[in-house]
Amino acid sequence: MVAHAEATYPNECCGVMLGSIDGDSKSVTIATPLENVSAGSQTARYQLRPEDLLHADREARRLKLDLIGIYHSHPDCDAYFSETDLKNSCPWYSFVVLSVQNGKFHHANSWLPNAEQTASEKEELIWPKS
Amino acid sequence: MAKVLIPTPLRQYVDKKDVVEASGASVAEVLTGVVTAHPSLKKQIYSDEGKLRSFVNVYVNDEDIRYLDKEKTAVTDADTLSIVPSIAGGR
Repeated sequence: MVAHAEATYPNECCGVMLGSIDGDSKSVTIATPLENVSAGSQTARYQLRPEDLLHADREARRLKLDLIGIYHSHPDCDAYFSETDLKNSCPWYSFVVLSVQNGKFHHANSWLPNAEQTASEKEELIWPKS
Repeated sequence: MAKVLIPTPLRQYVDKKDVVEASGASVAEVLTGVVTAHPSLKKQIYSDEGKLRSFVNVYVNDEDIRYLDKEKTAVTDADTLSIVPSIAGGR
């Protein structure tokens, strides 16, 4: 996800996270880059192709994993969940936002929209120990 | 009965199943059958006005019903329906 976000800078990248859910805890096993199909400038916008999400869900099932969330980058700004992000999200998935500053990964946050898509809750993000 | 693939976060509303089956000759009938059997799923995919929520896309096999006959799209027992959200955003 970090490599994808940096490689896509100064545009926004996007992709899906496949993994598993154990109660309130979600673990990402595979992050799959998807094409940003937003028309016009992509420095501040992203859009996923629904067909790509359909195929990602099938791939998750094939691997006996779950599609647990979506990630995208915010070039040269913080990893907040913007109004645009919230209104165009869906309340089913976790949304990881990666901040890329001057082409380098800076920080990330994970957000969970509420059912009405009027607010989002910040989720604790735990990185794997390397 | 047609199969309906359930996205992971919605499985909690269908007894933790990843696929459910329902009878019906159209997308609308099949989905009505699913939410009738699993009422708590209804508000996840339908608005208060009873329409599919704005971000909800439905596929019959590989075809988006927006480009077929929308919710009137014919369904047979051999078909598989998928519920896929529209997702976009930006800073």
